[in-house]
Amino acid sequence: MLNAQSLTKKVTTAAGELVILDEVSLQLEAGDSLAITGASGSGKSTLLGILAGLDEPSSGRISLNQHELTELGEEGRAKVRANHVGFVFQSFQLLPGLTALENVMMPLELHGIDNAKGKAEFFLTRVGLNERLNHYPQQLSGGEQQRVAIARAFASEPDILFADEPTGNLDSATGAHVIELLFELNREQGTTLILVTHEQRLAEHCQKRINLEGGKVVERHCKSSTTACEAI
Amino acid sequence: MLALKLLWRNWKAGEVKILASALILAVAVVSCISIFTDRLEQALISQSHTFLGADRVIRSSQPIDQTWRLLAKEHKIQTANTTQFASMVFSAEKMHLAAVKAVSPGYPLLGNLTISQQAFATDPAVIKIAQSVPAAGEIWADSRLLPLLGIELGGSLSVGEKELTLTRVIIDEPDRGSNFSAYGARVMMNESDLASTKVIQPGSRIRYQWLLAGDESQLSVFLAQLKPLMTPHETIVDVESAQQGLAKTLDTARKFLLLSAMIGVLLAGVAIAIAARRFAQRHVDQVALLKSLGASSTKVRQIYAIQLIALGAIAAVIGLLIGQALQMGIASAVASVFPVALQAASYTSYLPGIITGVVCLVCFVAPPLWHLPVIPPIKILRRELEVGGVAFYWQASLGLLAMIVLVAIFSNDVWLSASIISAMLVLMVLTAVFAVLLLRLGSRVGRKVGSVWRLALASLNRNAQQSVIQMMVFGLAIMLLLTLTSLRTTLIEDWQLQLPAETPNHFFLNVSPAEKDSVLKLMQQQGVESQHLFPMVRARLTHINGIEPTDEVKQRAEMLRREANLSWAETLGDDNRIIDGKWWDEWQEPGVYGISVEAQAAEELGVSLGDDLTFSVGGLMLDARVASIRTLKWDSMNPNFYFLMSPGALENFSPTYLTSVYLDPENKLFINTLLEQFPTIVVIEMDRVIAQIQSIVSQVSAGIELMLWLVLLGGFMVMWAAVSATMDERKQETALLRALGSSRNRLLGSLWIEFSLLGGLAGVMAVCGAEVLLLSIQYWVLDMPLQVHFGLWLWGTLGAMLLIGGLGVISCRRVITTSPGLILREVG
Repeated sequence: MLNAQSLTKKVTTAAGELVILDEVSLQLEAGDSLAITGASGSGKSTLLGILAGLDEPSSGRISLNQHELTELGEEGRAKVRANHVGFVFQSFQLLPGLTALENVMMPLELHGIDNAKGKAEFFLTRVGLNERLNHYPQQLSGGEQQRVAIARAFASEPDILFADEPTGNLDSATGAHVIELLFELNREQGTTLILVTHEQRLAEHCQKRINLEGGKVVERHCKSSTTACEAI
Repeated sequence: MLALKLLWRNWKAGEVKILASALILAVAVVSCISIFTDRLEQALISQSHTFLGADRVIRSSQPIDQTWRLLAKEHKIQTANTTQFASMVFSAEKMHLAAVKAVSPGYPLLGNLTISQQAFATDPAVIKIAQSVPAAGEIWADSRLLPLLGIELGGSLSVGEKELTLTRVIIDEPDRGSNFSAYGARVMMNESDLASTKVIQPGSRIRYQWLLAGDESQLSVFLAQLKPLMTPHETIVDVESAQQGLAKTLDTARKFLLLSAMIGVLLAGVAIAIAARRFAQRHVDQVALLKSLGASSTKVRQIYAIQLIALGAIAAVIGLLIGQALQMGIASAVASVFPVALQAASYTSYLPGIITGVVCLVCFVAPPLWHLPVIPPIKILRRELEVGGVAFYWQASLGLLAMIVLVAIFSNDVWLSASIISAMLVLMVLTAVFAVLLLRLGSRVGRKVGSVWRLALASLNRNAQQSVIQMMVFGLAIMLLLTLTSLRTTLIEDWQLQLPAETPNHFFLNVSPAEKDSVLKLMQQQGVESQHLFPMVRARLTHINGIEPTDEVKQRAEMLRREANLSWAETLGDDNRIIDGKWWDEWQEPGVYGISVEAQAAEELGVSLGDDLTFSVGGLMLDARVASIRTLKWDSMNPNFYFLMSPGALENFSPTYLTSVYLDPENKLFINTLLEQFPTIVVIEMDRVIAQIQSIVSQVSAGIELMLWLVLLGGFMVMWAAVSATMDERKQETALLRALGSSRNRLLGSLWIEFSLLGGLAGVMAVCGAEVLLLSIQYWVLDMPLQVHFGLWLWGTLGAMLLIGGLGVISCRRVITTSPGLILREVG
């Protein structure tokens, strides 16, 4: 499903060249779940952005569902994102002017999917928000907003879902509920899941885990066996 | 269509409301003004044409050539004739020197000849529009002729050898005003009776007028062919030459309306640009999200392009409808007092509104949004990533270009466009410099003052760039509004000054020296207030510096082809101003009489100070040296002369006297009393013309008032847009301060101070800019005397403080009254 080899990201700053990611490689099979952990500034979000095709590495290769992302331009990567990728963000990224239903419908409409409304209603019901379809984001609690974001991510039935600190803005009880929902849907849909977190509890839900420090993978961990871990 | 759905959702979310409102306002203001001015112009032209009774008049001292008539027929031009002369008319017992007008069927071609069967009728029920001219054998006459000659309708009246039956009284004729030599009461007869009167003899002073009406393009072609055939005896009279005072007033009014349209558009343009900038800022996240969801740059560009086009189209349609409705409102308000019905607007008058919409969209809305499609998708994860847009100077240049295009479309006037645009630029640069300096000063002062002030000054400084931009925008909007408001006041006052309520409306000529005192006494008895009695001698200018003028000079200067009126005066009239040379009290040249010449006449004659002029007065020669050159106000309706001699110069030439008086309608019969006692006095009646001009001026002024309100709306919109543009940051800051325990009153006080300071500083700059702009418009565009607007300085600055302060506080009110938690959640 995902194969990343020697990903390096460097940026030039006033102080000189800064290496954000240093030779990161990883592999994931369909249906896998991976947690990327690390301290602030360790390069987690940069890695997530590059793996999802939102950004380009300075060097290295990524293949996502048979697509060589590093050989594609922005337009090509947009197509891959449209067909295969879903996102859940820390700050939910719901459009404030749109209702919960409209927020979920938007990616479906963007890709010209039929019966966008029906599908959006289905997923919102699935995340327990059937009573809140016409509420605007500011009328919803943080947990509810993140559930809308999860419904939006799963509604377009992505092959791989990227989540950036999905519980970062939520209290622990709400966060736990959101985690539960995320993994439930992940299992139901057979989606591959990559999430960035610094929460141990969330990371433990994933089958695989890598820990970053200064842009380097310093630890790889697997629930099942150590041999499989070598292959991350 | 996703784009349209997004537009609708953006609308519901209030994201495009300011943008759409500003676009609608721009289109509405321009449409309203262009449609209304088009209708007004058409109506005023046709109204003015009724002063002529035609579109054009060929005036001649000879009968019109028969071949010309055929040519007119070929060009499908409507024609009619009038033949005018002064002649005695007789009843059984009395006679009167009347102004006779013989008319052909079809007269008047434009405007209405109104008649009645009752003398001095004022009741509209008994006043009819004449459907034809007097039939052969009939005569119509002014009401006042009836008591003067002691006759009734049905009685007989003789003109020369022809006896005619008086069948109607004339209430009004459209072209009366254009004929200043209309001495005596008017009588009107059919052209076919003219020959049998045997009044017209070789050498008679007759004015032949050939009235022409038709399609403007056909008229132009016809006149172009006619001009080479014309002799010096014939002149073409058009509306402007016939009614110079009115034409100038209307032209000024038109310029003012266009200026309002322009200022309205500039304001709306600024509002649009600010709103579009805010729209773009608010859409950065939306675009990043769309891109993370797989939308390509092309797709994003498409989505926004469709939204913009749809927004433009909707705004154009709504703007046009509002513009149309507004102009109908204005038109119906004006219609009740307007002498002619407004005609339907031409299709081309709808174009400026649409063009404005397109220009605003392309030049003000598109540039700030241009970079949206290339926002990198990673922005969704890295919010701190700076997003570059179209460089500010490109946006500013494009905006400036748009303003130039719009100003050029509306003004057609290089000086006007240049003065407005440069005033705007200078103001913006100066404001920016001034604002930066003041903000620095403010930050120093801020440390030493009370906490509410410190909070306000800190807020201004924290958003220094925003504050400078806001100050520039407020300054610009206030400058334009102040300019327009003051200009309107000056303009209307200037018009009212030109023709105050009791402007003299009757001229009495040909008062002999023997009658002078008796006439004055009669006036006093009847309560008629007289101006000064001016002496007058008719003379012909024969030589300039002892040389007879060449044909070329004669062609140029009309007063060499006819007799001029000479007068003398000890003191200079109020409406006369010496521009060169000296008045008699300072002019000393022994043995020579001095003469003061009107500036335009001096230019046409080619004479200057010290030149000697020779006049022939009934065969006697009179020499005088040019002592001064004067300008004078013809529209003051006071008797004025091209030539004024030094006292005593005309003593040996028996002068007649001339004066002007104001007679209200009830006092009109005074003319009969006067003429009964002094039958040789000639009366020129200007009352109807003056009343007509006054009524048009008051209606146009009303139209201007309404227009002003529309433009004010534009100004408020700019300020609203500018205040709203910083609302997100302000919401967050204020909510944070409240969460930290700041009291409402303290925040409210700080907001008042912050916005009032912004407004006050912008007001000072705006007043400076407005003063410069007003002076240049007065000088170059409207040709009015320069006048400093002291009131502007006070209420301009104070008004700006209160207005911006109030607007700011009202816009932020919600942030203060809603719970800070809710606000913080809203702004994320």
